[in-house]
Amino acid sequence: MDTKAYIESGVIESYVLGLATAEEAVELQQLCQQHADIKQAVEEFELLIEKQAFENAVAPPSDIRNKLMTTLSDEFAKEKDDDKTGAPVISMMEDRTSGAGNIKTKRIAFWKYMAAASVILLVASAALNFYLYNNYQSANTKYQALLTDRNSLQANNDVFRTKLNDFEEAMRIIQNPDMQVVKLDATGNKKGNLATVYWNTKTKDVYIIPSKLAPAPADRQYQLWAIVDGKPVDAGLISDCNGVCKMTNIPRAQKFAITLEQKGGSPTPHLDQLYVISQDI
Amino acid sequence: MPETVKYTEEELVTLLKQRQQSAFSYLYDNYSGALYNVILAIVPDRDLASDVLQEVFVKIWRQCESYDSAKGRLFTWMMNVARNASIDMLRSKNYQKNQQNRELTETVYQNAGSSVTNIDRIGLRKIVHSLKEDYKVLLELSYFEGFTQDEISKMLNIPLGTVKTRLRSALLQLRELVKN
Repeated sequence: MDTKAYIESGVIESYVLGLATAEEAVELQQLCQQHADIKQAVEEFELLIEKQAFENAVAPPSDIRNKLMTTLSDEFAKEKDDDKTGAPVISMMEDRTSGAGNIKTKRIAFWKYMAAASVILLVASAALNFYLYNNYQSANTKYQALLTDRNSLQANNDVFRTKLNDFEEAMRIIQNPDMQVVKLDATGNKKGNLATVYWNTKTKDVYIIPSKLAPAPADRQYQLWAIVDGKPVDAGLISDCNGVCKMTNIPRAQKFAITLEQKGGSPTPHLDQLYVISQDI
Repeated sequence: MPETVKYTEEELVTLLKQRQQSAFSYLYDNYSGALYNVILAIVPDRDLASDVLQEVFVKIWRQCESYDSAKGRLFTWMMNVARNASIDMLRSKNYQKNQQNRELTETVYQNAGSSVTNIDRIGLRKIVHSLKEDYKVLLELSYFEGFTQDEISKMLNIPLGTVKTRLRSALLQLRELVKN
């Protein structure tokens, strides 16, 4: 190639001054890599223009420098920090051949998107939290109600179990073949009252089923008496027992009787308050 | 504050790409005068030229990633950024309006005390104006006013090939004039 003719064609000057077409520019750049003398000619003209511009330099108004420093203050690298923040920004710029991109705007846009995304996530998270908290609240209330129900059922169950145990105990006592059954019948004006004493002939233990006695007033209590040789012997107070009440052990007796006494019992029976009495045993 | 550090073009470009403020200060302190000259040759109004200069340094700073040293020297790239920004200013509506007003005032006051620099006294344009008329017109339209060769061909009613060869001859003459 006739590089001399190319150098003298004027295309180098038009390239340096920005007047060459895109095709001419590409061609010139390729030729510069292949021909040192073309590259040298380009540089010579560049330096020539540069020298001309510097020799005729005009000092711009002094406030421009400060204005620029203010405008760009956010875009300067932070001390020793530029590697971290600078690198990703530069990589974003690499795609831009036109160079029309604007680092600051991009950085801000990126953070804007990040901020917007964060806010959306926060709101969504808050809504979810609120929803889940409500669910938790209602589930917890239901759980508490179930727990109460369960406890009351358990309590009822215990009551019934106790009652059942009492009745089983009563059945066991009644079914004992050693047990002597003594019926206590109502006296004159106490009709309707009835009690049964179970007296173990071997152990002499005394049990009573007071189921058919009229309910005792709050300040009074039924008291069982054993009549031994015509004298009443205290056989115990009938308390609020289920089914069968165990009374005092009575080794020997001819009759049993029940009177209504002061709460806590009396040493001797008030015979006017005699409710039921048995036949001679 | 005297600038004692002296960077090579390569070092300066590296530091600019690392977004170093010191590199930008250095760039401004060393190149603003020469670039202001380039701008004033195209935009004679000093206030507007100052606006362009400011804009040019922001562009240089923000677009320095796109500078490729394989395509030319740093100053050549910056000079072209400055020229493009200046021509954009010439074509802006504001500038056009401004010029119309100015022409009216100038007719009255005969250019007295205007902040407009005499075109013929500024840098490259001064040299261009010493060329013969044919060449001068072509360089005016292409370099200083930013018209493409195709547009010039239509404006002057000259074939495109002639515009191209004549422009190149003009540039070669310009080169010789700048050299001396």
